[in-house]
Amino acid sequence: MPVSFFVNGAPITVDVLPATPLLDVLRIELGLTGTKQGCDHEGECGVCTVLLDGESVRSCLTPISKAEGRHVFTVEGLGSPGKLHPLQQAFIDTGAVQCGYCTPGMLVAAKGLLDRNPNPNHEQIIEFLEGNLCRCTGYKRILMAVEIAAAKLRGEQAEFKNEYPVVGKEYRRMDAVDKVTGRAKYTEDMVMPGMLHGRVLRSPHHHARLIALDRSQAEKLPGVIRIITAGDIPGENGLGDYSRDEPILTPVGDTAKMMGAPIAIVVAETPQQARTAAQAINVTYEVLPHVFTSEEALAENAYPIYSQGNILTQYSVKHGDLDQAFNESDLTLETRYQSSFVEHSALEREASLAYIDDKGIVTVICANHEPYWHRNYIASTLALEPTQVRVITPPIGGSFGGKQDPILAVTVGLASFLTRRPVRIAYTRKESFAATPKRHPYDLKYRIGAKQNGQLTGIHVRINANTGGYDAHGQYIVHFAVTGSGGAYRWQAVDSHAQTVYTNGPKAGQYRGFGTTQSTYALECTLDELAQKLGMDPLELRLKNAIEQSSISFLGYPIGESVGYTEVLKTLQPRFEEYLKDADAYNAAAREKGEPFRKGVGLAGMWYRFGKSGTLKVEAHCELASDGHFVVYATAPDYGQGSNSMLTQFAAEILESSSDQIRLVNADTALAPDSGIQGASRSTYFVGGAVCKAAGNLRKSIQAVASELLDCDPADVTFSDDKVHPAQDPTKGILLSEIAAEFDRMGRSRRIAGFFDLTPQFPDEKRPQYVPLFCTGAQAADVLVNLKTGVVQVERIVVSQDMGRTVNPVDSQGQIEGAVMMGVGTTIMEEVIPDATTSFASYYVPTIKSMPEIEIHLVEVASRHGPLGVKGIGEAVMTPTAPAILNAISRAVQQRIREIPATPERVLEAITTSQKEGLML
Amino acid sequence: MNSPAKYLFPTTIEEAAQALADWKGEARIIAGGTDLMLDLQKGKIQPHCFVSVDRIHGLDQIRVEDDFIVIGSAVTFANLKDHPYIDQHVHVLADAGRSVGSLSIQNAATLAGNIVNAMPAADGVMAAVALEAEVEIVDIEHTEWKPVESLFKGPGLSNVDPTRQLVTHIRFPRCEDHRGTAWYRLGRRPSLTLPILNCAVNVFLDDSGGIIQRTRIALGPVAPRPFRAQEAERFLEGRSPSAENIRQAAEIARGETDPRGNVLRASRNYRLATIPAIVENALSNAVERALGFVTTPG
Ligand code: FES
Ligand code: FES
Repeated sequence: MPVSFFVNGAPITVDVLPATPLLDVLRIELGLTGTKQGCDHEGECGVCTVLLDGESVRSCLTPISKAEGRHVFTVEGLGSPGKLHPLQQAFIDTGAVQCGYCTPGMLVAAKGLLDRNPNPNHEQIIEFLEGNLCRCTGYKRILMAVEIAAAKLRGEQAEFKNEYPVVGKEYRRMDAVDKVTGRAKYTEDMVMPGMLHGRVLRSPHHHARLIALDRSQAEKLPGVIRIITAGDIPGENGLGDYSRDEPILTPVGDTAKMMGAPIAIVVAETPQQARTAAQAINVTYEVLPHVFTSEEALAENAYPIYSQGNILTQYSVKHGDLDQAFNESDLTLETRYQSSFVEHSALEREASLAYIDDKGIVTVICANHEPYWHRNYIASTLALEPTQVRVITPPIGGSFGGKQDPILAVTVGLASFLTRRPVRIAYTRKESFAATPKRHPYDLKYRIGAKQNGQLTGIHVRINANTGGYDAHGQYIVHFAVTGSGGAYRWQAVDSHAQTVYTNGPKAGQYRGFGTTQSTYALECTLDELAQKLGMDPLELRLKNAIEQSSISFLGYPIGESVGYTEVLKTLQPRFEEYLKDADAYNAAAREKGEPFRKGVGLAGMWYRFGKSGTLKVEAHCELASDGHFVVYATAPDYGQGSNSMLTQFAAEILESSSDQIRLVNADTALAPDSGIQGASRSTYFVGGAVCKAAGNLRKSIQAVASELLDCDPADVTFSDDKVHPAQDPTKGILLSEIAAEFDRMGRSRRIAGFFDLTPQFPDEKRPQYVPLFCTGAQAADVLVNLKTGVVQVERIVVSQDMGRTVNPVDSQGQIEGAVMMGVGTTIMEEVIPDATTSFASYYVPTIKSMPEIEIHLVEVASRHGPLGVKGIGEAVMTPTAPAILNAISRAVQQRIREIPATPERVLEAITTSQKEGLML
Repeated sequence: MNSPAKYLFPTTIEEAAQALADWKGEARIIAGGTDLMLDLQKGKIQPHCFVSVDRIHGLDQIRVEDDFIVIGSAVTFANLKDHPYIDQHVHVLADAGRSVGSLSIQNAATLAGNIVNAMPAADGVMAAVALEAEVEIVDIEHTEWKPVESLFKGPGLSNVDPTRQLVTHIRFPRCEDHRGTAWYRLGRRPSLTLPILNCAVNVFLDDSGGIIQRTRIALGPVAPRPFRAQEAERFLEGRSPSAENIRQAAEIARGETDPRGNVLRASRNYRLATIPAIVENALSNAVERALGFVTTPG
């Protein structure tokens, strides 16, 4: 049925079924991929927001016929790179764009607001944005951006001013312009001629044996090109060291260990055909008993999920005489804390596109944290040499660890390899919930001791990390669990043990703060309980025991980086004390008036070992292009955290040029060198370090060549944008393009490598995962609890974080705010309940309405080895948020809650217990 | 996407009723479409034709008449909360509208659609029940007004048959003096989520302000259909709007309900534990408004 309407002012007629979602018409019929999709046409995420006659609507729930004769406005209509709308400019300036996936919807919603109300207040902005999820930014910068743009549009002077001084050059995210104009092409936005669509058939049972599989009916369906099962895999049916036990496709005879385990791949002409055919595959299962918790999986008569038993790996740290330590203690305390499965919920759903290029190379465009690793997994499944596979990293709409899982890339590579056609697989949101890794739920038992003066003595920890049905990197988590379990404190004696346990829950894998977050949560809550029992200020307790530079760490070895924990705590102290005073005053008044609200203030610290995955030696290249630009070649995928800009900025600092002078080739295995895996917040420290080295080497090389032409000392050769000149005489400049020509005449390579290498600093370090690089931080939370409903609003969070050196304050603050917001979510609302949680409608990610006031103190205790003094913080900052909030809630209700999320229900239970105990709340 | 092949935009009510009759049960009325688009995808409905109320003359109007407030079936929740009269005098409806999903849903979703969709705790429905709303239902032969409460057959099942009938208007008695309404909603997060509990109340005081003449307390989801706490209502009638009476009424309301647990939202026990708090809160806000005090909800 033809429908005529206007898109960004231009008349358009399409001929489609009349209830086709407007979103599909924009993206598929019109190729306007600026408008994104983040859920399965469910209205649950808001990234598809457009304006219909000036009012914001969910385009995924809008039948196209509704638009007949009306005006649709999308991000493409807002402004172009050369002519940005003030909203777009403000989003860039304030750092409101990270992965950029929510950005078009946010911009359009904000436009709808400002067109109607040029002078909105805070609440009105929140009302207009409350339906738009953002997983990266924590919303604060988005709010700021809308305020600034509104002022500008009213003709007022309004510039974004960061409260923190900028070190180095003023800087903007390089890819932000593409993201605010809707030009950035994420994998789901790409199309290729002849592209097929894949769909994975998944097990509907939590635990089942595959008895038989019959694809004959499905194969006959229209559009079906091929149905792939385990037997079709040319190489290894697995993920190598990433996941020891996880097949790409479950073979007949084997067991599928979680709901969502992959069984077969259907490749068809359209996504719908692939979906229909997947349903037509006839699979016979024998359903087996299942368990979801580590406790059940470890029970004596538990069903063995794997023949070797339900424990995957174990690790422990033990030193000192624990019995003696406890004997000498004035107080010992035992606690048990638990956490739940958590989903990354990046707003871009997982998608990957593969094709065979004209040289026969299997080329896979996929989100990843290390393209070379993905390449190897794909190659081994296809029985190819790694060089016959290329991995390209597209713009990524958020990861938080989730997109480190290589299974989708391997699946798509396999589908393209076997059909010799371009194939894309795009997960639905439900599939993303069912098939991608979650955060490991922990069950932690603590026993700690202390002297009356607060000095910590012994610590005994037992941790069960629930990895669900598959390893998915859970094998390594025990190290991180143990590392986090004792924190940045001095202990006399330690016995900490962790094991990874199989269950039939969703597989658990990488998640921001890998493995450390959960044990830090239990430790920092236990310490808070201890402080309370000792009648001691919780900050004093931590200060008293804080690890120092010379200390032997909890792990039994010294620390390899500078330690700023004492500085971090002292920075936090005045604000913490103010929070406490405010809360006391509030509570006194509330009691007086009989109001059912109480405030609570909580504190938590953390240490985080960054940079531990991968090697100690990292490579990057820097090139002087023939046109005088610089090109950086490195591998540090940008999933929204800003590594693209970071690498560019580092090179720009060293080469004293502006960021536009620098081009970046990042994370493409055909073009950029391998810089090691980007887990563990190591991109800034390690890859940034290698880029600095490469840029430094190139700089020297240019100086050597230029000094001849300029007839001056090499050290006097000065860089100034596209020229070099002698320091004394800026007028005597030579264009860098001429220098490049000179390189060529001399036969000198213009592309130069640089290595960041910590091997000399840690000569005995044979186990890269133990690299003793730590950063520290602490946070205080101020919460408001409704005593009648148990509903918690996190009102304020103050963050004190040791950055080493702050290279880009806007970015650092944005990362911190996003991490804090994620922490708010995991502490009070987020939880994947196996069997029940299927999508965003049943998984509660914080909206802008849950945003606390966040105050950030960047503490700078320069790193010893990192480039420009930096440390890795991306994951670390999330770690103290949960325990700080939970401690605050527990103090407000005078009852310990030892399970997250602290849902209204759990909080109300605690309140009821307190009331029964006659405590005066 | 299982789209029907046809999508009609009648401009009069008669035309719409005729279209439904012509399609003999294969067509279906669509208003905002936010629920129907989901139902289409899930295959819950498979109409051959949609008949839109969007462009029927007059149905996008909110009329403040002498005795009634009349709301057309194409009026969205956003229209409701933006309407000065509703915003000032019918808080329960404005605030319930604000609770529906988020603004970009409120810009499309309608009160009429909410009612016909018949979910037991739909925010708009709860407000309509408290307001003692009636619904005008039209088919090719008849037009009749029916109380909104009489339309529920079961969860998701309405006595209005959208393949045969269309809702054209919703109305409720107009009243500004000695009357107060209020809304309370409890959810797992502050927006963009289904309610753990919601409550709409409507309180009429006598001229002195010292006696509650009548009250309506709607609660969800505590039964398979929008629930009215009638014992609590009866308890309050004839009594003074004192804090103690309100507290007792809220307790009575708890005793009348039989909520179920939902693993994703809250258990039965949690619902039972919090019902008194939210009923009490809504009642006291409504009473304060009836007495002419201005308060903020929640
Ligand atoms: S795609 Fe429309 S709300 Fe998620
Ligand atoms: S920037 Fe908002 S979701 Fe990534």
